[in-house]
Amino acid sequence: MKYVLSLLIVLSAAAVATAGYRETFEKEFLSKPWAGGPIVEKSACIECHTSDMMKASFRGIPDEWQGSWHALNEVSCHDCHGGDPKDPSMAMSHVRGFVGKPNYEDVPEFCGKCHIGIMKNYLESGHGRALKATRKGPNCVTCHGSHGIQRASIDIINEQLCTRCHSYERAKTMKQALFLTEKRMGEIGKELNELRGEGIFVGDEEKTLFSTQAEFRALFHTVDVSLVKKSTDEFTKRLDGIEKNVRKTSAELRIRRNFSAFLTFVFAGLAIIVGMLARTYKDKD
Amino acid sequence: MWKRIRDWIEVRIGLDELVRTQLRDYRVPENINIFYTLGFVAMVAYMIQAVTGFFLLVYYVPHSEHAFRSIQDIMTRVPYGWLFRQMHVMGGNLIVIVLILHLFSVLFTGSYKKPRELTWTSGGLMLATVFLFCLSGFLLPWSQLSYWSTTIVTTMPAAFPYVGDFVANVLRGGDHISGSTLNRFFALHVALLPPILVTLLAFHLFLIRRIGISSPPFGETVEENSPWVGYKHEQYHGQPFYPGFFLKEIFMVMIYLAVMFFFITFTPTFFASGDANIQADTLRTPVHSRPEWYFLAPYQMLKLIPNKFFGIGVQVIFVLLFLLWPFIDTKAEKNVLKRPFLLSVILCCMVLWVVLTIWGAY
Amino acid sequence: MKRRRFLGVLLAVFGATAATSFAYPLLRFFAPPSRDSRVKNVSISKNDIPLGGARSIVFNDNPVIVINRYEKGFVAFSRVCTHLGCLVEYDKGQRKLVCPCHAGTFDLDGNVLSGPPPGPLPLIPLKVEGDFIIIGTSVTG
Repeated sequence: MKYVLSLLIVLSAAAVATAGYRETFEKEFLSKPWAGGPIVEKSACIECHTSDMMKASFRGIPDEWQGSWHALNEVSCHDCHGGDPKDPSMAMSHVRGFVGKPNYEDVPEFCGKCHIGIMKNYLESGHGRALKATRKGPNCVTCHGSHGIQRASIDIINEQLCTRCHSYERAKTMKQALFLTEKRMGEIGKELNELRGEGIFVGDEEKTLFSTQAEFRALFHTVDVSLVKKSTDEFTKRLDGIEKNVRKTSAELRIRRNFSAFLTFVFAGLAIIVGMLARTYKDKD
Repeated sequence: MWKRIRDWIEVRIGLDELVRTQLRDYRVPENINIFYTLGFVAMVAYMIQAVTGFFLLVYYVPHSEHAFRSIQDIMTRVPYGWLFRQMHVMGGNLIVIVLILHLFSVLFTGSYKKPRELTWTSGGLMLATVFLFCLSGFLLPWSQLSYWSTTIVTTMPAAFPYVGDFVANVLRGGDHISGSTLNRFFALHVALLPPILVTLLAFHLFLIRRIGISSPPFGETVEENSPWVGYKHEQYHGQPFYPGFFLKEIFMVMIYLAVMFFFITFTPTFFASGDANIQADTLRTPVHSRPEWYFLAPYQMLKLIPNKFFGIGVQVIFVLLFLLWPFIDTKAEKNVLKRPFLLSVILCCMVLWVVLTIWGAY
Repeated sequence: MKRRRFLGVLLAVFGATAATSFAYPLLRFFAPPSRDSRVKNVSISKNDIPLGGARSIVFNDNPVIVINRYEKGFVAFSRVCTHLGCLVEYDKGQRKLVCPCHAGTFDLDGNVLSGPPPGPLPLIPLKVEGDFIIIGTSVTG
């Protein structure tokens, strides 16, 4: 016991002596992301835009973006606006491809740098043609918002938004045409998530679902109800294909469950038998 | 014909002789109870890990780009791959529980006392090896969960002054978890740790066989009347190891397997939920990252003690005290009920461990 | 003694059940994956695709594009984008494959030129025989 005590004393003395070391460690141990707080992307854009020098309306942008679907998928400022996030002095240089706020009628091309398919359908639609002809039709941002963009959903089609320009009648028919397929895609997505949670590989199905959903939604941007209705069958068939796989996998999971339940019973039975066998030796010997 | 084969084997191997000396004549204390089978259960549990581990090795790819997918494939496409993976995952956690129970039953029955000090120390070293198994094996699926909880655990050695960073970096093969960490841990898990554990196990078993199983200190004890004199054979009174006690051990192994499959049936994702099914992303930390349950207590302790060196120092002292415990507690009295101070110390440690573990989980 | 015998028999039965419950999975586990009964190959007419042109076909449920490249001859790719699975389209003018969802682009060797895709498009082996292009058969095989 004495030795232990003296060891403790020596160690505590050493601890006091190395108190300075503590700070380095805390920096190392507690500043790591898992100590709490989100990772802040080191980018010249964000550093300036969050600083006090920035005017108030610009200062909120990084925060808005932080919570967006884009941020979640690692799409940062420069992916849309260009420029150079690594070099503060050149961050907003047009030489490095910087585009600040696009003109109202140029927004579709701004977003369409990535979302090519949707841009194409949109530009051919009533919405798109109105924008180009009068500079007044709805552009992407009108419905989807900009920096705080969220994952697209059927709820974007709502009375409040549509009636800003026209009556809700036609939009409502469109929403009804989309509704069942959208709902089904949402359900399949949920089922795939559940399967993934069980350790199952669903990457192929997820990709098929994503591309089906993307195509279906791109089609919506034509705002042509009859076209959507006409194509629904084709989409239903593709969703059937995914669902078939989901059913098959769920059935397989049930079989697994039953098999391991069976093994539980076998081993429990063995335990009982061996236990009783052990007792017979106790009684006799 | 059968007899000739038997004789042939008998002359060369001497099975009958082995069965007689090692099973039938080998004696265990008369009043031995079910807690004395836990060591055997742990040994079988380890064998199950070794065998299922080998099966997984057939399809697992130890590369940061393919590891996660190969595990998913084992779970999805390889026939019955799920069975062996689930057994390995559940077993990896259950074995820790069995070892902790074994540890406490040995502690409470004073079985570590003279002349069994080395048995205890080798057992303690085996527990440490198993923790290393857990640590290294946990990273291998390369999921968000395994990546980030390993990040936390491997940073803990950095609390040592001067050498800490070096130790942590050697462990990780760099200053953060990367593909080379995966390869290091893989090598550790499948090539280095198994022979270490088997060697320690052989030593542990040799000592138990040589000295004999200690008798429980409760009720009337046989051992006190006849102190240890040598290898325990038929002249030593007690019950034969086989079949009575051996069947008890098998009974416990069956319970272990039943419990394992019970968990696989009803909570298949208990140790692999949520982030365990997302591939590791080195740029995105999940919100609730923390070590595996068996590392929570030291982790929480390190977080609580303001001076980190003192924190790690206390832990080192704990480990040393633990490994050398039989040399420190040299009193002959084995019955823990007659030693209220020792009993309260043990109970305090248990409570502290549980509290820290629960605290660390939140 | 009778009871012990009876228990022995029970033990044998349960033990055998447990053993077979593992023997069968083991056999399946180590057995090489069975060859599936998918179509080995399909052939299309060479004249269907002019120089610089492309044609989309479906091969074993996978959308595939066959391109007649300038100078480099025929090539076939899976059209499933490696990013999120949208179907890439052939841009004849720019001589590349473009994904409509997030503007991932690939060159005519399948390599990523720009955008989010994490890897190249999978190449589908093909062989030109007379007037036909046989898709699904490697040149060497």
